[in-house]
Amino acid sequence: MRGLSLVISGGGFAAILALWLNGGGSVDVAWAPALELRLAFELDGLAALYALLATGIGFLVVAYSTRYLPLHLEHEGRTARDEPRFYAFLLLFLVSMVGLVTAQDAILLFVFWDLTAVASYFLIGYDSHRRDARANALMALLVTGISAVLLLVAALLLYDEYGTFSLPILFEAAEPGALVTTAGALVAVAGLAKSAQVPFHFWLPRAMVAPTPVSAYLHSAAMVAAGVFLLGRFYPLLQTSGLLLDLLLWTGIASMAVGGILALTRDVMKQVLAYSTIAQYGYVTFMLGLGGPEGAVAASFYVLAHALMKSALFLTAGAAAEAAGDDRLSRVGGLARTHPLLAVGSGLAAAGLAALPLTAGFFKDELLFAAALERGELWAVIAVGSAALTLAYVARFWASIFLGPRRGEARAIPAALVWPVVLLGGLVLAGGIVVEPLARLAAAAGEATFGAPTPADPAYHLDARAVNLMALATYALGISLYLTRARWIPLAVAAAGLGERGGPERLYRGVLRGLNLLSDRIHDVEVRDLRTRVASVLVPAGILVVLGIWVTPTGGYDPGSIGSDDIGLVLVLVVATLAALVTAFARRHLTLVLILSALGFSLAVAYAFSGAPDVALVAVLVETIVALLFLGIFALLPRDVLRREARLRTSRRRRWRDPLIGLFSGGIAFLVVWSALSRPAPEATVAGDHVRLAPDAHGSDVVTVILADFRGLDTLGEITVLAVALLGIATLLRRGRTA
Amino acid sequence: MTTILTQTVARLLVAPTFAVAAAILVKGYADVGDGFAAGVVAALGVLLLFASIGAKETHRILPVRRAFTVAMAGLLLALVVGFAPLLVGDPPFTHYPAPEAPVVRVGTLELITAVAFDVGVFGLVLGVVVGALDYAARARKGDW
Repeated sequence: MRGLSLVISGGGFAAILALWLNGGGSVDVAWAPALELRLAFELDGLAALYALLATGIGFLVVAYSTRYLPLHLEHEGRTARDEPRFYAFLLLFLVSMVGLVTAQDAILLFVFWDLTAVASYFLIGYDSHRRDARANALMALLVTGISAVLLLVAALLLYDEYGTFSLPILFEAAEPGALVTTAGALVAVAGLAKSAQVPFHFWLPRAMVAPTPVSAYLHSAAMVAAGVFLLGRFYPLLQTSGLLLDLLLWTGIASMAVGGILALTRDVMKQVLAYSTIAQYGYVTFMLGLGGPEGAVAASFYVLAHALMKSALFLTAGAAAEAAGDDRLSRVGGLARTHPLLAVGSGLAAAGLAALPLTAGFFKDELLFAAALERGELWAVIAVGSAALTLAYVARFWASIFLGPRRGEARAIPAALVWPVVLLGGLVLAGGIVVEPLARLAAAAGEATFGAPTPADPAYHLDARAVNLMALATYALGISLYLTRARWIPLAVAAAGLGERGGPERLYRGVLRGLNLLSDRIHDVEVRDLRTRVASVLVPAGILVVLGIWVTPTGGYDPGSIGSDDIGLVLVLVVATLAALVTAFARRHLTLVLILSALGFSLAVAYAFSGAPDVALVAVLVETIVALLFLGIFALLPRDVLRREARLRTSRRRRWRDPLIGLFSGGIAFLVVWSALSRPAPEATVAGDHVRLAPDAHGSDVVTVILADFRGLDTLGEITVLAVALLGIATLLRRGRTA
Repeated sequence: MTTILTQTVARLLVAPTFAVAAAILVKGYADVGDGFAAGVVAALGVLLLFASIGAKETHRILPVRRAFTVAMAGLLLALVVGFAPLLVGDPPFTHYPAPEAPVVRVGTLELITAVAFDVGVFGLVLGVVVGALDYAARARKGDW
């Protein structure tokens, strides 16, 4: 599994890179033609960017995990047998991610979107013996999974209007208007929830219960990136509405502020990075909201650069925690002396995130500032402010781990925990010197997002142009923020506390608790005992029937006359009626079963009178078997229990309620039969068709032909219930015996 | 309650019951009866044995322990017959040969896939009833 993961992620990266350099490619085959679904994939610029990130960083994460996971399992007291599960779900995530970004069909996209959610659930909850891991995995699944339904709704809305699920055709055809805005808003909410943008951000820090490689993968190159990918993919729809762009803009700003400020207050390394991720994807949302070609290309470049740096920092957090034996910034320090290579690799990544020159990160901010300036000065100020916040928390993160006096231990760590970080750091540095390959990829992705060429030529300019001045202002502001942090961190902590008390996470928990309570309440009412369970079916069904008859009156109730031919049938029905009445008064269980089967047998005779020998045969057989099974089960029960139960008197409340329910539902059934019988027989019915078509199906027994052929799928469903019942019996009785 | 007479009759009836079940199953497409009815008839024969000579003795005569396997094999057969047409691009539950195509007959048995589906139903019903009975009987008597 480990080797397979390495081969698939590494080979996938190489294949996608080769394919993209040769101009991309596409596959388009029919999937379910009757539903107009196609397996349509295309490797365009946007797909190439995200697919390369998913496979490339996936490869490094798998390589890192080969050494990290055994250590992790040892800490958690688990055996190596749990390893394959980790790689299987990581691989599922990787493959679904590649499918998601290349899909060109809205339903296909939705399927892969949900697959990533499922894989993320198992990855986040990998330490499933821990309660918080399970709860937080469920939270991530609920937030991203419920919002995913909105994506499906949007796809169906668009299909209803334009008659296609094909994304390129949809984007071509979509006209600005209320419908496209609604669909775009639904897609945007789905994307923002997956990207952990305010107010859906609360799941992401909780998802840090996952093993560190999972966090590194999901929160740099995969899951969270999928959210902004969706915004990029549907950008042609989103940009038709100024309202939606403003929504993105303000969501981005809120996320930058919340993520940036909270990242400064956290002590656990991965928590700092989690809030930083919220803020960083806030930038991307913000840039997409700025609109225009500059925003599209800047967002693409940002995703690319951020994925490299953030995955390096997450992997650093795992390696540093392993080295120091603690995962809190206040308990580690001075690791630069003992782990210089790790310090250099993650230092490069941190410098990139802080947008220092000579790193690829410099250009991400250059493009950000340019895009913000294009839109207006206010946005430029916001961009500088957020970039300064980023610099402050990145500096705090790196300096706390690697500088200062040594706190905690300084254990040696396997090389596989270091070299992926160094490689990623090296890429950040290389991208800062020769930016052309990264810029080319980002420009291609920007073009696919924006729908028109988006020129991007990030470069160093040694002059006093606006973006350079903004960068200098960022450094000055960020460094002073970092140096004076002792003054205002208490303020930030207070703000964080306020958010916890009244924030969306509280709402989530409240709603979840409310739903659980409601479910329990309904469960209590419905299944307290067999009678309430039966009543909970009969009474609502009866009310529905009453409403149905009331709303659509059938006219006269005339069941016709009784002729001399019917005397046999009437006699049988009299017996059935008497048996039914007697069941209400029988006390002993054995008597009850015998009377019930008498009732069943007389009904079987009634079927035979009505010229339905097949039904009569089955009725006789089923009655026999049910009666015998009842007797068999009574034989299992102790005699005195049966005797005691038979003597039990019903409570006062029961004595009135149960007959009333019985009379009500019986009366309704009577009404239904009567109204069905008093309707004139329709000329052409489905039954008539069945009789006419039976010879075509090579059968002369219409009932069998219906069961096996015309309604074969129904029959299959019904017999599957039998199989499930047998499984239930087997489980219950076997368990009961061994326990 | 169980006398020598009932025990003997039950033993003697096993083979005829299965023969009747087979007949109902085979001629289901031409006359009254189908896989469900056939399955219940066959199960009744086994049930009679259980009631008269007891579970232990029944196990000696018939492979009752296979009931679970028979049920699942029946379900599998029904599933395969139902969904195999998807492989050749037809909707599920398309039966072959097609309408008006010639059908091979062996006596009253018609060789069409719908009958195979019915055989699956037969196996499932027989297996479920006998299996449920057997689990109940063994639950009482303890493991043996």
